Parts: sequence; C-alpha cells; structure tokens
Amino acid sequence: MEIVKKLAASFCLKQEFAQRRNKLYQIAYSWCHDAALADDLVQETMYKAIKNRSKLREVATLDTWLYRILINCWHDYLRVSGRHVELFDVRDDRIRDHSDMYQKLQIVDRVRSSISSLPMNLREVVTLADFAGFSYAEIAKIVDVPIGTVMSRLFRARQNLKEQLLDMSNDEALQLKLRRVK
Amino acid sequence: MDNKQFTDEKLNMFIDGELDTAEANELHEAMLQDPQIRERVCQLKAVRELVGFAYQSPPRSNHDRRVRQDSGRNTFWKGIAASLLVCLGVIVGWSTHQYSPSVIAGTTTAKNVFSYYTEHAPVKHTGRNFILHLSTSDIGAVKAALDEADNLIASYKRSNTPLKIDIIANQRGIDVLRVDVSPYIDRIQKMVADNDSVSLFACERSIAKAKVREGRDIVVMPETVTNRTARELIPERLNDGWVYIKV
Repeated sequence: MEIVKKLAASFCLKQEFAQRRNKLYQIAYSWCHDAALADDLVQETMYKAIKNRSKLREVATLDTWLYRILINCWHDYLRVSGRHVELFDVRDDRIRDHSDMYQKLQIVDRVRSSISSLPMNLREVVTLADFAGFSYAEIAKIVDVPIGTVMSRLFRARQNLKEQLLDMSNDEALQLKLRRVK
Repeated sequence: MDNKQFTDEKLNMFIDGELDTAEANELHEAMLQDPQIRERVCQLKAVRELVGFAYQSPPRSNHDRRVRQDSGRNTFWKGIAASLLVCLGVIVGWSTHQYSPSVIAGTTTAKNVFSYYTEHAPVKHTGRNFILHLSTSDIGAVKAALDEADNLIASYKRSNTPLKIDIIANQRGIDVLRVDVSPYIDRIQKMVADNDSVSLFACERSIAKAKVREGRDIVVMPETVTNRTARELIPERLNDGWVYIKV
C-alpha cells in the first residue's frame, strides 16, 4: 500500500507541475524574450523539480518553490553564457525604437521592449509581481532577497516603465482609447 | 491631505494590496480628495496592467507544439492502452472481490491525493474587473472604447481568466446606450448577449439632465441599469480594485 501511496503522490505532483508549466514558460519568456530559451529553462525546471520533489515539504509553497528553481536555472544560464553583467545594470535604449508604435498591435511589443530594457533584477521582480501576481513576501523567497529590496526594485522598475510608457498615451491611436487607467 | 505624504513606494504597496486596512483606507480618502494622488495611483496601476497584459500570449513554446503533435499521433496507442487497462481492472477486480471493501476504504488513492493537492495548492485565478467609463458620444472615441472592450474580452477568454466589464456612461456618453440615437446599439447588444461579464450602466443624473435639455423621455437599451449615478458607481468599484478606463 505504501508503494501505491507513493506512486499516487508522485503522479499527482507531476500533474501539479504540468499545470504550472504554461505560467512558468510565460514568466521565463518575460525574462529572456526568447521562446526556445524559455522552453529550455522550463524543461530544466521541470526536470529539477521532479528530481528533487522529495525536498518539497509543504504543498502550499509549491509555486514559490517552482519559481525559485526557475530563477536559479535562469541565473545559471546567464552565468554560463557570460551574460551576468546584464543581471544588474545594462540598459539598452536601442530596442525602444519602433517605427510603427502608433499601431495598436505594437503596444504589446512596446511594453515588452520597455521591460527588456530594464536591468534584469528589476525585470524579474516586476514580472513576478505584475504578471505572476506573487506577494512581496513570496517574491522575496523566490529571488532570495529581503522584502525591502523587493519593494525598492519594484518601485524602480515601475518608475522606469512609467517614464517609458507614459508617452504611449500621447500616441494618436491611443488617445482615443485610454485617457486614464486605474 | 498632502500629496507628498504618500510616497511612490507606498502607492506601489497600495496597488499591490500590501498596505494594512488603516493605511489603505487613509489612501482611499486621500484619493477621493486629491486628483494628483488619484493620478499617481492611476499611472502605477496602468503600468501594472500593461506588464500583466504584455505576456498573456507569448510565442507558443516547442513543448506545446510537441504535445499537440503527439496527442494526435498517439490516439490509437492510447486507445489500445486504455482497453488493456480496462481488461486488467476487470481481472484484478474479479480476483480480489472477496476482500472486504472496509480494508481498502480510507487509504490513499490517486483521486484523493489529487484532490488534496488541488485543495491545498495555491492556484491563482486572478480575474480582473474593468470599468469602461464613457463620458462622450464622439464616434471615434466610442468605437475605440468598444474595440478595447472586445480585445479585453477576447484576451481574457484566450487565457481562461475571469473578466468583468462594467460600461458606465454619463454626460454625453449616455447617447451611446440610447436606442434612438446610438449607431452602436447592435454592437453593444451583441457584446452583452455574448458575454455575461459585460454590464451596462447609464447615469441616473445624466439621464434626468438630458430629459430636461431635450424635453422628451430618454430611452436606453433595456439591459441598462439606470437607477444609480456614475459618481456613486465609479468610486465604489475603484475602492474594490477595479481597473478604470476613461474614454
């Protein structure tokens, strides 16, 4: 019976991982902006999660645990690929240039470009908060920094994005749609 | 109330629901009185919404493509495997039927372990609520607003995320919901009919003013709620964390 219990628990946990796969992929993509790389990162995360599933003590922390693995895989990748400088303070303004930013379909691209221009540590925090919907405490666990750091990174990230994105509301196409959003 | 009293860090905490009740209430009060604070909160919320929206539909992963291909390819073998499992189940069931069910009852099965996980794991289904505030009947602006509503509905449907949109019209915006005036009646009617999540409100006060101005009854779409004012409806929803889009 013990074996059946273990098999069932293992099966269920794999199901849980699978259910979260898509969200993990979206977050990974928001960090690296590369579909193939995001796929690899999620694959590696899944592999590590299944391999180390016995280390998960509380099911309630499953989300935080999985995202922690994902961010570690991502940081490993950056280290190995020699792109660790980007972790902190590289800002690439070139990608902000869009010839057709007035078109509605470009809004998503514009936002993604603005996010990709953020230093990586800010990018991670802002996507975990605004896209994945984690609380400050959960983000602190995932990123492994104090809550105060999460708050200041979030503040800087949003400040930066606000400056980059606010002039979107001056775009002719957008003026008709959005004057103020709360 | 001093605008500078509320730092951007605090406003961030507010929109993220990280302030305690007393602080959040204080900020609500300040927002009602000070348009600058309201504007700052609006801007931060807009940024948050844009980030949330930007990655709803990233390029499809290779894993997805493989799963789709494999699911078609493997249907036959899955059928065979399912049949074999059914046979195996019958054989095992028949050969063990003499054992008392009470011995088995209460043990961990795949089903109850699964329900344990689904009940305890914090799966997030963060639905969003939007106010689409129409205060103008300008054709271009209204068209853009309805396009925006359609996009929101489609986008949230794609991601299986709950969505609610309240279209609240006041001032000249009520013309959009008037059956004898609006060029968009059919479109709005279809939107409401196709989506339970869309509700229509016309400001009671604006209707009364229009009635005086035009000297005739103002007839709006039957689905429209007309017994509240926009001034009541909008702050209520803002306090509940709705996203506000003003046309």
